[in-house]
Amino acid sequence: MIFNGTLKARWFWYSMACVLCWGGWALLSKLGSREIPPETMQFLFTFGTIPVCIALLVARGFKLEKSPKGISYGILNGVLSGIGGLALFAAYHTNGNTSLITTATALYPMITVVLAVLLLRERFRPIQAVGLIFAAAAIVIFSL
Amino acid sequence: MHVPPWLWYAVITLVAWGVVGILQKLSTNHISAESSLIWLVVGFLLLEPLLYPGASVFHYSAWNLAWALLSGVLNALGAWALFAALKSGGKASIVAPLTALYPLVVIVLVPFVLFESITGMQLVGIGCALIAVILLSA
Repeated sequence: MIFNGTLKARWFWYSMACVLCWGGWALLSKLGSREIPPETMQFLFTFGTIPVCIALLVARGFKLEKSPKGISYGILNGVLSGIGGLALFAAYHTNGNTSLITTATALYPMITVVLAVLLLRERFRPIQAVGLIFAAAAIVIFSL
Repeated sequence: MHVPPWLWYAVITLVAWGVVGILQKLSTNHISAESSLIWLVVGFLLLEPLLYPGASVFHYSAWNLAWALLSGVLNALGAWALFAALKSGGKASIVAPLTALYPLVVIVLVPFVLFESITGMQLVGIGCALIAVILLSA
């Protein structure tokens, strides 16, 4: 059976581990944000990512590719991710509904899809158009 | 129409992380996903001087400080698990939408941990959002 095969596949369990880790990340972000302001949350959050970063470096034997372009995009990624994280902590800090905030901010692929079509000239697939309609509906409902 | 204040912050997150999705594609054209995560943390570190809280950090409860640090650990571990899923044969078109379902964990746990509830209409919105994420990441 296909389903049985999926349950035995390592990639499936790694994906589930990712879902649990990110679910835990969002929930703990909210718990901390009840008291701690967004700037300090992002400051502390970054310290939490360092051990994993070091473990990754060790696992790779401290070998990193030396592509200036790749490195620049990677660092810019971090700066923008940090700004996005800061806004997420600010949203949690407002005492808004945790489930709604988490779900709304997880809609970021809608921006990626639109930018990928506009900037990277990726093909826009009909299924993505349907996805955008659902995303827009969700945001309208959340704003009511 | 009174837009809840959190939604404005959420829009900033959406746009910033949406652009990150593009930069992620561009960076992994040149370096591996793991290296990209390492440089991403370097980007985080660049923001640290602007965010430095000084001694005020010691005024918060130890538990909340622990949650903040642990949230960083879990976020980075999740990214690592995602790379591992892709490396061990998972197709991006399946792994990406699957891992985008992490809000479900929060939705299931929130009533027990934070004792928050949602209205029927908000539940419809969450349903729309989860369907959207699956379709957009596929």
